[in-house]
Amino acid sequence: MQSVGRPKTIDTGQKSLAGILNLIRENIATTRPQIEKETELGRAVVTDRVSILTKLGLVEYGELGQASGGRAPRRLQFCVNAGLILVAVLENSAIGVGLSNLSGELYAEHHEAIDVSIGPDAMMQRLFTLFDWLIEERGDQLPVWSIGVAVPSPIRNTEGSSFEIESTSFQALSGWGNFPLVEHICAKYKAPVWVRDGVQAMTVGEQYSGRDVKTDDLLFVQLGQSVGAGFISNGQLHRGADGIAGLVGHAQTGGAGDVVCHCGKKGCLEVLVGSDAIERSGTEAANSGQSAYLADILSKYGVVTVADVGDAARMGDTFSAELLTKCGRLIGESLSRMANLLNPALIVLGGHVAQTGDILLAAVREAVYRQSHPLVTREMQIVRSQMGGSASLVGVSKIVVEQLFTDKTLRQWVTHGAPRMHPKFVEFLEHAQRITSKPAKLSLPPDAGVTG
Amino acid sequence: MSISGLGPHGERAASGDLLTLTSKDEEAARAGHFSVAVVMHTTTSDWSRQILAGVVTALGNYSAVVVDVVDCKFGIENQIQALNRLADEPVDAVISIPIGNAAVAEAHKRIARAGKKLILLDNAATGLLPGNDYVSVVSADNFGLGEVGAELLSPYLPEGGTVGILGYRVDFFATNQREIAFRKWIGANRPDLTLKMEKFHDVTNIESALERLLESCKPLSGLFVVWDEPTIAVVHHLRKRGLYLPITTVDLGNEAAAELARDGMIKGIGAQNPYRQGIAIAKTTVLSLLGHQPPPWIALHALAVTASNVIEAYQVVWHKPAPKDLIDIRRKNSKR
Repeated sequence: MQSVGRPKTIDTGQKSLAGILNLIRENIATTRPQIEKETELGRAVVTDRVSILTKLGLVEYGELGQASGGRAPRRLQFCVNAGLILVAVLENSAIGVGLSNLSGELYAEHHEAIDVSIGPDAMMQRLFTLFDWLIEERGDQLPVWSIGVAVPSPIRNTEGSSFEIESTSFQALSGWGNFPLVEHICAKYKAPVWVRDGVQAMTVGEQYSGRDVKTDDLLFVQLGQSVGAGFISNGQLHRGADGIAGLVGHAQTGGAGDVVCHCGKKGCLEVLVGSDAIERSGTEAANSGQSAYLADILSKYGVVTVADVGDAARMGDTFSAELLTKCGRLIGESLSRMANLLNPALIVLGGHVAQTGDILLAAVREAVYRQSHPLVTREMQIVRSQMGGSASLVGVSKIVVEQLFTDKTLRQWVTHGAPRMHPKFVEFLEHAQRITSKPAKLSLPPDAGVTG
Repeated sequence: MSISGLGPHGERAASGDLLTLTSKDEEAARAGHFSVAVVMHTTTSDWSRQILAGVVTALGNYSAVVVDVVDCKFGIENQIQALNRLADEPVDAVISIPIGNAAVAEAHKRIARAGKKLILLDNAATGLLPGNDYVSVVSADNFGLGEVGAELLSPYLPEGGTVGILGYRVDFFATNQREIAFRKWIGANRPDLTLKMEKFHDVTNIESALERLLESCKPLSGLFVVWDEPTIAVVHHLRKRGLYLPITTVDLGNEAAAELARDGMIKGIGAQNPYRQGIAIAKTTVLSLLGHQPPPWIALHALAVTASNVIEAYQVVWHKPAPKDLIDIRRKNSKR
């Protein structure tokens, strides 16, 4: 892609171009006079930079703004539909995909069950098939600007890099080893990829749930097969020194018996309140006759799920109600320590275990309110997530937008009009293509013949 | 068959057949004398009539009264007007099938903001969240219906053949799910096949979509159409052109059932069970009005129908004896 405008201006004006684009994008300054005031740049420079951004297709003129004496200035707006952001959430039992505009607003999504045991090649085939379907159906022939992926795995911060996340630094899904996830996606769509821990993505997503509550200081707790947490402080996600903050499932409870956690220790919270533990207890109760409801479920369907335990509790099954109360209390006790430390305005519980119903939620609330400092809990609310899997998709699309437009990254691509021309990405793409062109890691997608 | 599809926000499905009211709940419901309004895209289709029959029967059992049934005649504006009106009327709950996705989202949000329970059929308009804006989506397992369509068509497709999909151009959760599931099943189980896609805006232009499909892939080995009404138009058009194609679809309408029974072009149907869906909707409504929290995604199993079980399936789906014509067709063809 060629730079547009006078080369000299562009080469020296990356900083002002990036700054002006972000002012318009964030609605801080949307007319030329406002931009002049905010940036303290001269009228000629602002006119020049706006002209370049317009030619690059990044901003456009909209309605007339408010006049301040003379002619009313025309408002500038960011072209949120200049490109697409593809997002995905990969889990051990499900895959979700979505499409968002450049402001991170999700406007199409699809979720389906999948079994991680099919392996990375088949999973990638499915991901590409679904991405292609989204692009074909809802993409309006726009270019893919970037891709965000949430995985159930801690993702370490990559110091000093703008785009590249080395796939070798994380295992996306259990059993995948160092499968080059990022490289495959980059090579296929020729667009930069960001990968984030699913819990952190959900935490960001919950900020945009539309709740009528303050979400700038939010603690999100994922209660599924694993237990993890994410924290938003003053509107910003806290990732920790290495990017792996939130492993609360490995907090010691002191009552986990002999069950060894996958981290190698005994006594982890996850071993007691994760969905595997609840399903195991439910199955035992069905077999031992402690729960007639669950015994009926087991005989009909051959398995007891965490949702069955929740339904049983709602229907008055004593064993299930007691089990969920016990789990809720343990979760609440762990959260009370975090609440004292972090002072969140809102705690959101997500995941299959949280969806079991009010019994678990009530027990969590009771333990948190009882064990936290009264000043911490005076205004604090504890709610269940209503966004489900959409939270990850919304969150990861917001993360991608944030990363694309950080000053450091934006300066490197703004003169080219699209992030795929960022010099470091061009370099990374070559590396990705080299890696993925080696002995076929991927076979053709199952419906590679789909056209039209 | 288990429920395959996840909900609009990735929720695992709860089976509609497992919704239960305890005797205490039933007693409380009868004492509540709840009033409910139903907003349908149409009230004239067989599917809508069966949904309504299930809803009113089950609600009646709990002494809840259906005070209003709105026929939106597929009009987005009609639905918006109806929901805005109902938000201000003294009804406890509204059951609605969103017609225009994002266009009707705000009107649906008004129901919850007015303090009423909103229960959705088949899909959630873009931007609506369970708990905030609605109680549950109660739906057929559309993903499962697409899988049934693929599985029943597969035996009729030659090795290395090309199979066509006639999909719906409008962005609608249910038909999207069927199409994705059909593709997925074929991709996983018949990788030898090539898939070719065409879309139609409405039933009146299905022939042009079919012609494009026939023109662009010769020969076409089979076809999946996302619901029964356009399938019948396709069958008529193919007959007129002297062509024969094995076809599968969704929904056991009368004409589709007859074509299946006579061993015609339709080889299999994934059937919904709208009456049972109506009952599940009514139970969900009552449970929510009693302060319970029903699951956000409730689905009903897909039923696989072939010529051999079409009569029984008809009875199950439509809650009435199969028409004599259908029985006669089946008898005649099964003796061949």
